[in-house]
Amino acid sequence: MKIGVVAVQGDVREHLRALKRLGAEAIPVLKPAHLEGILGLVFPGGESTAIWRLLKWSGLVEPIEELHREGLPMFGTCAGMVLLAKEVVNWPERFFGFIDIAVERNASGRQVDSFETELEVKGIGRVPAVFIRAPYIRRVGSGVEVLAEYQGNPVMAREGKVLVVSFHPELTDDLRVYEFFLKMCQEDHGNHGKG
Amino acid sequence: MVNFAAGGIATPADAALMRMLGADGVFVGSGIFKSENPEKRARAIVLATAHYDDPELLAEVSEDLGEAMPGVAIEEIPQEQLMQYR
Repeated sequence: MKIGVVAVQGDVREHLRALKRLGAEAIPVLKPAHLEGILGLVFPGGESTAIWRLLKWSGLVEPIEELHREGLPMFGTCAGMVLLAKEVVNWPERFFGFIDIAVERNASGRQVDSFETELEVKGIGRVPAVFIRAPYIRRVGSGVEVLAEYQGNPVMAREGKVLVVSFHPELTDDLRVYEFFLKMCQEDHGNHGKG
Repeated sequence: MVNFAAGGIATPADAALMRMLGADGVFVGSGIFKSENPEKRARAIVLATAHYDDPELLAEVSEDLGEAMPGVAIEEIPQEQLMQYR
């Protein structure tokens, strides 16, 4: 199963490694041709405005929007969540907007406020979660299912084929959150992967 | 450990070379600000850093950037200005 990882900036290497450990074929995505035949697309942690600009300059925004319209499963972690959210409350730009949530960038604090904890994730159980200048979800639309919360803040949510998490499942040895996404991609198998 | 390279990076090719040698990113100051067209060069260096193993794109972004940061040949520096003689 081919899964793409947006590879213009961020913790790309860690995502590629997590996917390989789960037996998927991990493809770094730097230009439109790299999107061919993938069954899911991952947006890594990093710096959301830098990733967005590089996606624009690399001609990747429109092809990714087209794949979303076709129903390709997408997974955003940390900055990836900011890129996929419909609204960013403390930033004037709007990015992809594929999931009906409003997020606050860097809501968990500065770099020195980074922390690790355990979260109860719906359908998975308790998982370790690494928060690094993480965004929190401040509003969820009616079609969005919240899958995990931290101190009352939603930190994992799904709407249709779009999954987002505030934390970094790619940085722990427990890859069940990642497996959850791969299952979403498998369910979808057949609608994609042509070519 | 994330590793950045800095010092004397003046062209998109310099930035790409640093990535090929294993750096995760680059810091560029004078290489941009002392060039003829800082905005265009900054964008080209950023793109070259992300796409360092895509030679076609490197060639494309390296076109038409104007003059790079000027360098000084050591033999043209008067002796009294050389650090070791001051």
